[in-house]
Amino acid sequence: MRKINAIAFKELTALFGSPLAYVVLFLSTAVFNIFFFMIIDQNREAHLKDIFTVMEFLLVFFVPIFTMKSFAEENASGTMEFLLTAPVRKIEIVLGKFAGIKIFLFCVIAPTFVYYFIFSHFADFDKVTALWGYLGIWLEVNFFAAIGLFISSLCRSQVVAAMSTYVILFILYFSMSFKMYVEGKLNVLVSYIAVMSHSENFFTGIFLLSDVVYFLSGIIFFLLLTRLMLNRQ
Amino acid sequence: MIQLKSVNKQFGAISALKNIDLHIGPGEIVGFLGHNGAGKTTLMRIITTYLPVTSGRVMIDGKDVLKSSLAIRAKLGYLPERPPLYLNMTVKGFLSFAAHLKNVPFREVGKAVDRVCEECWLTKVKGRIIGTLSKGYQQRVGIAQAIINDPALLILDEPTSGLDPLQVVQVRELIKRCEHQRTVIVSTHILSEIENLVSRVVIVKQGEIAADAPLVELLYNSQSKNLEEAFLKLHPVYEKN
Repeated sequence: MRKINAIAFKELTALFGSPLAYVVLFLSTAVFNIFFFMIIDQNREAHLKDIFTVMEFLLVFFVPIFTMKSFAEENASGTMEFLLTAPVRKIEIVLGKFAGIKIFLFCVIAPTFVYYFIFSHFADFDKVTALWGYLGIWLEVNFFAAIGLFISSLCRSQVVAAMSTYVILFILYFSMSFKMYVEGKLNVLVSYIAVMSHSENFFTGIFLLSDVVYFLSGIIFFLLLTRLMLNRQ
Repeated sequence: MIQLKSVNKQFGAISALKNIDLHIGPGEIVGFLGHNGAGKTTLMRIITTYLPVTSGRVMIDGKDVLKSSLAIRAKLGYLPERPPLYLNMTVKGFLSFAAHLKNVPFREVGKAVDRVCEECWLTKVKGRIIGTLSKGYQQRVGIAQAIINDPALLILDEPTSGLDPLQVVQVRELIKRCEHQRTVIVSTHILSEIENLVSRVVIVKQGEIAADAPLVELLYNSQSKNLEEAFLKLHPVYEKN
């Protein structure tokens, strides 16, 4: 656990050492605030569904920026040799990097907790649905981060890692739009693969075990693939 | 301490190491010599568990490097040819990170960082960002991370590359201080660098061990005055690699 913490801390230091992290934190909080005020001003409804939808959309664009460096930079700079010859298990390296990115992404989401408390105090607010929505967005962002880590472990170039991650995340995110063009088993497959078909359920308070399984299995699958890629190195 | 038995390493069709047999005892300081591309780095990477062998066996303290990789890496200090540095970290931050990864007890991390900073003449720059340091200092940070866990086996790949003459002497002193305390393997193609340093020389040529003997014996057997002459007898100047 100590080694995972050390790697996570190193990742976080590197992330917060870049001005990009502060730009993303500022931008995301600004966008969330705008949508929050639109909800209470125009819709006059106390729910966080729209915030989650915006959050999901923004994170598709933000996650690759922060995962691209994780392994690609180590591969390019030669520090991977340092990590792999230190007495650290490969899974600890993967989990340490994953934890670092998770903590950063938590910082992106955390400012929106204020909306939860505002609604809880001043409106008739469905807390359970909101909490379920937070669980959904948290699982989704972890899923995106696991994909980003895996792609980064395949690359030496950060740009290639970011672009490749975007391609995969766009496929997962926008595939719902293509659902109407396919039929039969392919339609079912697209529905299952599309990340939105699962996240929507969380945001609207629909409790389905298959949604939790989708995200959890995706996270575990990509983390294990990343671990296997380190083995290949 | 280290035993290699019939070690072969293939990279696709290229045979990087051919049937290497080698035994290095505890406390020895061994120099790996050879042209660029002779197989020195591959040999070191195999000993550090970074690369697996294609065939053969590598044992360290009686343990197979493939089966007991984690236990072996805990005893190891390794400086790769290109120092593995996080350029955006401070010297202290990086060395603390290395200490945590290399099983230095939690409460002794600070002391270990201070110790290696002193040993590697880094105390003055401890708070500086690594990326802002000169190449010489960066090389010393690389050496400091290699010895932070007080390893029983220290492997240094081209430890003096890019250093000025004074820094070369300092690094040489640092390695010399390890004599009898730990096993040291130093790879270089700068012959004068290790002449006064190593007790034994292993010359690697085209993936094979061309010579393996104590320095005095090597000079005597090759009827040479110094290591350079002995090396050139094994590697004629106009011989193709």
